[in-house]
Amino acid sequence: MKRRVLLGTAALGAAAALVLSACSSSSPGGSSGGGGGNVTLNLVGADYGSGPSNTTTKYWQNIADAFHKANPNITVNVTTINWTDYDTKVKTQLQNHDYPDILQGEFFPQYATDGLIEPIADAVSNPNEGISVFKDQFSVKGTQYALPFVTSARALFYNKLAFAKAGISSPPSTWAELESDAKALKAKGYIGYALPLGPEEPQAETYLWMLGNGGGWQDSSGKYTINSPQNIQTFQFLKKLVGEGVTEPNPATYNRTANAGADFAAGKVGMEFSGPFLTATIASAGKLTTSDYATAPIPGKNGPVSKTLGVADAIQVFKTSDAAKQKAIKKFMDFALNNTNQLAFAKEYALLPGTQSALDTLKNDPVLGSFVQTLPNTVLFPQSDNWTATVLPAIKQEIGTAVTGDPAKVLGELQAKATSGS
Amino acid sequence: MQPTFRTGASRHVRRLAPLAWIGPAIGLIVFVVLLPVVLMFRTAFRNIDTVGFDHGWAGWLNFRALFKEPDLGAIVMRTIVWVVVVVAVTVVVSLALAQLFHQRFPLRRVARWALIAPWAASVFMTSVVFRWMLNSRSGLINVFLHDIGIVHTLGSSQADWLGRPSVAFWWMVGVAVFVSVPFTTYAILAGLQTIPGEVYEAARVDGADGWRSYLTITLPLLRPALTVAVLINIMNVFNSFPIIWTMTGGGPGDKTATTTIFMYQIKASSIGESAAMSVVNFGIVIVLVAFFVRASRGTTQVDG
Repeated sequence: MKRRVLLGTAALGAAAALVLSACSSSSPGGSSGGGGGNVTLNLVGADYGSGPSNTTTKYWQNIADAFHKANPNITVNVTTINWTDYDTKVKTQLQNHDYPDILQGEFFPQYATDGLIEPIADAVSNPNEGISVFKDQFSVKGTQYALPFVTSARALFYNKLAFAKAGISSPPSTWAELESDAKALKAKGYIGYALPLGPEEPQAETYLWMLGNGGGWQDSSGKYTINSPQNIQTFQFLKKLVGEGVTEPNPATYNRTANAGADFAAGKVGMEFSGPFLTATIASAGKLTTSDYATAPIPGKNGPVSKTLGVADAIQVFKTSDAAKQKAIKKFMDFALNNTNQLAFAKEYALLPGTQSALDTLKNDPVLGSFVQTLPNTVLFPQSDNWTATVLPAIKQEIGTAVTGDPAKVLGELQAKATSGS
Repeated sequence: MQPTFRTGASRHVRRLAPLAWIGPAIGLIVFVVLLPVVLMFRTAFRNIDTVGFDHGWAGWLNFRALFKEPDLGAIVMRTIVWVVVVVAVTVVVSLALAQLFHQRFPLRRVARWALIAPWAASVFMTSVVFRWMLNSRSGLINVFLHDIGIVHTLGSSQADWLGRPSVAFWWMVGVAVFVSVPFTTYAILAGLQTIPGEVYEAARVDGADGWRSYLTITLPLLRPALTVAVLINIMNVFNSFPIIWTMTGGGPGDKTATTTIFMYQIKASSIGESAAMSVVNFGIVIVLVAFFVRASRGTTQVDG
């Protein structure tokens, strides 16, 4: 008996030692392999797929394999992270000083201010290949540190079948029209307007509504205006919609992809704000054909929003002291961002490319064309240092409660958080 | 001189010998328990940015930010309710179940095995299953409640149990009790089996009826088992993460978060503040355990 206990303790000790050594094995410089002329690059990207069949790992692996074939001494290891866990996992990885060589997904200004990433001019051959509207968003103190890898613009999606059943002839262009349409749709058993304010991406949904009332997260000088009178009024309107039962009952737990997107694709939703990616969800669900739904400009309080929201996900390169590796990274970046690869990505996930030349080829695309037209004329998320770091996580967590609780209080708390450090 | 020296050396060696045996345990405690505690305290006083860069000493800044959180008071209150209700209900249910399983009845062995199931299943899986069963449109529980007329319309706010914080919390209390009961029942059952039958015989001779002998014999003699069960449950329930995280994520907002969940929620925006929350949690557990150990030690001495 005693012996067994001791053995158990020894085993635990050994296990602990293993765990500890596993933690420390990832050296700060990442994997090196420049010695023998062979270079290994680590790429971490977000997963845009909806499951194993269309995971972005496949997309990157194809590029990595093709690249390895052309450059046998360079191997690229691919890891992708589900968007739901992206923030947590990437932050944890970086906090443990386990830096990838190439990181696709979100851009944090802290990457640049902490000296982790290369200016984009050193990372690719043509630093101006990205769509220019996103240049400032990926810049810190005048230097651009990331390129837009994939982009999208938002519009109102509406279910034409549902509209016909409810006797509505054209999509709404004002809030009042949207409200009465939503009521008519609800009477026919549809979710009139899907309001996804769950933690996945409420910052986009609410921003589109704020824009409709001349509000926004910040004013033109970059000061936070989260609890401005316009925004409070906007949320009071949303609260009214929720109270009338024309949305999902608890928007704060209703997410963009898993709930709103899936429900629209299943034909249960009359209207929702979304991006081109929704067309892929609809196509894979197989319930609605491309003629059963359409897009329209985002309705505002008194008329359609003139500038919709443009969203870009970034690709950035981490610094390395190894010259051979740096060269390999640049080579790979140029390869990964060529038109063929950019368009393959756009096609796979119904998103827009990040480079201007790839975007230009899609101008007349039947599905993506209308989004391509609106993209150069879009507003963006705030560019403050603390937006992605502290403000956004708080918004994701709390903003949904503003449409069931007290809008002024919730927005006020977020405003206080956003301005507390400055 | 030499012989003395030799015996001295061997005595030293002999004195060090146990170290080989307790060494791994000490190493385990130092690296798995003490080191993380030290690091946790250190992190709580550092200014660490979102990508993990340490920008130096932060003083009490993280704690000040934490105590300025408008919802902290409500979260702490909710945590207390969570621990007290889950542990109390668990213990009451387990006392009854243990009494039942202590009786002889056909298929007792099978019944005892069945009780292990919620314990053996991963808590995460159990929570996911409950979340699905509570789905507002097609969840099993909701469909059943709809069939018997309690839920009027599927997909309505009423059916969205996990979307409304006040109701979601009590569903999660139920799940927490469900997963805590097996262990507690077994701990109490083990306690029941140590009570000798003669004690009850003597009580019966003295004329004590069932209820009275339960209160004056069974419960006092169960005290050691109950102490262990309650203590472990308090720590487990206080630190419980998977149930709330999988069922509501602490949401909407932080309206169903306990301090443990809240610590994880604020980690996304501030690591230092999250570490400060950890330190506070750590303090709460220490205080809870100290109180409880003290209280139970006092009573055992009186009994002994």
